[in-house]
Amino acid sequence: MRRLLAAEVRKLWTVWSTYVLFGIVVVLDLLFGFGLALARGGRHGGSAGLAPHGSSQWFANVFGVLDNSRLLALVLGVLIITGEYRHKTVTPTFLAEPRRGRVVTAKLGVAFGGGVALGIVTMVTGLVLGFVLVGLKVHSCLTSLTRGGVQQGMSQALCHAQHGIYFVATTHNLWHDWSRIAPGVILGTGLFAIYGLGLGALLKNQVVGIVVGLGFTLVVETIVTAIWPTIGEYLPGQAATALEDAGRTAFNGGTAQLLPWWGGAVMVLVYGVALALVGTLTTLRSDIT
Amino acid sequence: MPTIQARGLTKRFGGDVLAVDHLDFDALPGGVTGFLGPNGAGKTTTLRMLLGLVRPTSGSVLIDGHAYRHLPQPTMKVGAVLEASGFHPARTARNHLKLIATVAGIPFGRVDECLDLVGLSDAGDRKVGGFSMGMRQRLELARALLGRPEILVLDEPANGLDPQGIAWLRDFLKWYAAEGVGNGGEGRIVIVSSHLLSEAQLTVDDVVVLAGGRLAAQGKLQDLLSGTKRAVRVRTPDADRLVAALHAAHLPASVRDGYVVSEGATPEAVGPIMVENRIEVHEMVSSTESLESLFFELTGGEGMHPGHGAGLMGDFRQ
Repeated sequence: MRRLLAAEVRKLWTVWSTYVLFGIVVVLDLLFGFGLALARGGRHGGSAGLAPHGSSQWFANVFGVLDNSRLLALVLGVLIITGEYRHKTVTPTFLAEPRRGRVVTAKLGVAFGGGVALGIVTMVTGLVLGFVLVGLKVHSCLTSLTRGGVQQGMSQALCHAQHGIYFVATTHNLWHDWSRIAPGVILGTGLFAIYGLGLGALLKNQVVGIVVGLGFTLVVETIVTAIWPTIGEYLPGQAATALEDAGRTAFNGGTAQLLPWWGGAVMVLVYGVALALVGTLTTLRSDIT
Repeated sequence: MPTIQARGLTKRFGGDVLAVDHLDFDALPGGVTGFLGPNGAGKTTTLRMLLGLVRPTSGSVLIDGHAYRHLPQPTMKVGAVLEASGFHPARTARNHLKLIATVAGIPFGRVDECLDLVGLSDAGDRKVGGFSMGMRQRLELARALLGRPEILVLDEPANGLDPQGIAWLRDFLKWYAAEGVGNGGEGRIVIVSSHLLSEAQLTVDDVVVLAGGRLAAQGKLQDLLSGTKRAVRVRTPDADRLVAALHAAHLPASVRDGYVVSEGATPEAVGPIMVENRIEVHEMVSSTESLESLFFELTGGEGMHPGHGAGLMGDFRQ
């Protein structure tokens, strides 16, 4: 099994699509993160009803959006198994390890690792984003003071004093929220990659797998959760959201019906493993011609 | 000594297509075994069942008494070159081989050896997406050889190879099958499926002929060929006199398509008769034992496109 795992890891880093996927995650993180940070709170300290810039609530909003990376983890999971069929590498793979269940098990492990790596990349991007946003705030204070007619030297002194306090306060909030949100996002992306792998094992077709996975998570789950929240909380997307303290407090205002975090983790894992098991016993058992 | 044994091997696709029908065969080490048969005869399906990629509907094909999926080290036991096997276009040839080496626990040094063996050393770090058909075929062979397997299975290996490549492959397969013979070893099993009969005739020692999913013939190529008909064909303006002279010598003779055909005769028998009777000859052809004629005899010319000569084997591509 160790050799199979090593081979599966090698499969990931010897093709460019993996790097593209990680690149997309970083770009999307930055786009959404910046967009949300500028929309909520604004540069000058928050319009009505929104958390003020630099507050703990504000960071929770900014980091909360990063959990969308799990959709790309789902795609990663789908690719790990359907890519073999698409490029017909499944033939040499099953020639080298004819016990197909073992191949799928190794892929489950690698999908989880890949998903966790995606989560880590996402949260590190988020951390950098957080510091950039704090820096922007410092800069915006300088310009607003200068514009207000305060002398250059005076404004710098004022801002330094002000930002010494501001920086310490916001950095504290930043760290606090980051460390609170990161574990959930990272575990969630890892588990969602397993879920994607399960879908891929069952559906075998790359495009169908991605469309079904994203469509179900973004459309079906949203509708079901809106109408029957008691059912919705057991669906993979909501179950993954339950992993995040941030999801509970920031976006849903504590009103969303969510499982306890460990319950969410178990649910996503069950979906992934169950789909992979059914896929192994049905689709993957079929003849390779 | 490696063995391959198929007993009652049957594959039915989708309920009504009987691809392989109660096939029994054995493959022996020390020589090259040719899997021959017209389109749809079940060659590829049989080889894929041997390799555990296709599940038999009934019956079995065993390697050293085990199904492929129960082999403890399949890469070390069996190497396979298959037509529909694929490569990730963005992966380099070397990385493609390293994947398999990793699974099988083969040191990476062997990867370079195998690339070298098939003449791809310089292309090792190139992406397979840019490879020609022949290079892909060579890479497949390199992958099959990674584990120094006792059994080598090749499905249409000559596809995409240039004439030098085909000649090289022929010598390589003969050498590979016979390696170890006479030094206490019994050699290895090499199975090749092919639609190129003239090429197969140069390569194989044993044949398994399939037709319609069933076994049409099995045995040493030479034994099977010795049973085939020979014939002498003569083009001459004195056709009637030649037929009479051959009949007088108790040889069969008839006129077909402007030729005098004497089935079962040899040029050595016909030649003196023509000289003796001072018969003018424009052309004399001796059709000796050929795998092609044997093949048509065994398969009833199945799959042959009407109007095409027997030599146009392009129609028999699997």
